[in-house]
Amino acid sequence: MNKDRLWSPYLAGVGLGLTLLASFIIAGQGLGASRAFTVVAGKAMNAVAPAYTATLSYLSRYLERSPFSDWTFLEVTGVLVGALIGVLMSRGFKVRFDRGSTMSVGMRVMTAFGGGIILGFASRLARGCTSGVALTGGAQFALSGWVFVIAMFTSGFLFAAMFRRLWS
Amino acid sequence: MSAPFVLSDTVNLAAAVVIGVFFGFFLERGGMGNPHKLTGVFYRTDFAVPKIMFTAILVAATGLFLLSDLKVLDMSRVWIIPTFFWPQLVGGALFGLGYLVSGYCPGTAVAGLASGRLDALVTMAGIGSGTLLFSTLYPALAGFYNTSDMGTATLPELLHVNHWAMLALVYVFAGIMFYAMERHERRGHHPTVKKALHAVS
Repeated sequence: MNKDRLWSPYLAGVGLGLTLLASFIIAGQGLGASRAFTVVAGKAMNAVAPAYTATLSYLSRYLERSPFSDWTFLEVTGVLVGALIGVLMSRGFKVRFDRGSTMSVGMRVMTAFGGGIILGFASRLARGCTSGVALTGGAQFALSGWVFVIAMFTSGFLFAAMFRRLWS
Repeated sequence: MSAPFVLSDTVNLAAAVVIGVFFGFFLERGGMGNPHKLTGVFYRTDFAVPKIMFTAILVAATGLFLLSDLKVLDMSRVWIIPTFFWPQLVGGALFGLGYLVSGYCPGTAVAGLASGRLDALVTMAGIGSGTLLFSTLYPALAGFYNTSDMGTATLPELLHVNHWAMLALVYVFAGIMFYAMERHERRGHHPTVKKALHAVS
């Protein structure tokens, strides 16, 4: 893998910080991501099992309008496009199933999906994820952002000590 | 006229796409679509995540306080992320586990997919399922979810310090952290250290 393809993390961080600042100025809100997943998953479940979905009081706020008039869903669509521009510009695009060097494909499907379930659940419990709570809240010096960041890194370090083989 | 601007819905939604494009572009340029790089911080082999994250926080916070003090930006009209202390502490800790196991977080999984990583697509399906799991269990979780509501609590308010003093403190903290990370990464790549580590393991 060619590491030099990438920018310095500090430069990427400045770009990300200016994007976040622009979002505050233009839209009056920071960045987000996990909300888009709830909107899409909620809409999908509503299409398959509308009667059951109607009983889920928590989901109703995500089903009020179409994903295409949801700010965070559109922003995440932009993320896909922007990341694609970046990866094509630097010729980094390659279809693959990325995993730790000692991990089987079957195991990777389980960690990717299982880890994803935990991410989805946790970001609803915390009212947002790394984008909405950690970055946005962090930049506002909101307590929420800093509590989330500290809890996330502490837990990641502890579990990494337990699961050494995951990404080796 | 002061920001945030009062935009029509259409313009605001178009802005969301453009803001997202920049967000995704900088994430990818920083290597944030790569699960090895994303989890490197937890194994102390690659500190790109905290470097990018804290640089972004410092840049955005400096701009936010500057524009707000200059009365260019009306902070009372910016959506402040509310604090629910215990759910966010537990949610953050669970999130750290999900991030380590999947190798992504919701935004970076999208960047991972854009670079051709199909495992990121599996994680995205997991995230959607996880939010539905939460929605299903919500009646049992509602009590905890709504506990320890601290509203728009901010660190400068809680610590009774000026926001510029708080910012200076975070600059110093980040500076020390970045210095330690650079040192650690350089030492990790030093051939003799690698050999010594190899001998130990």
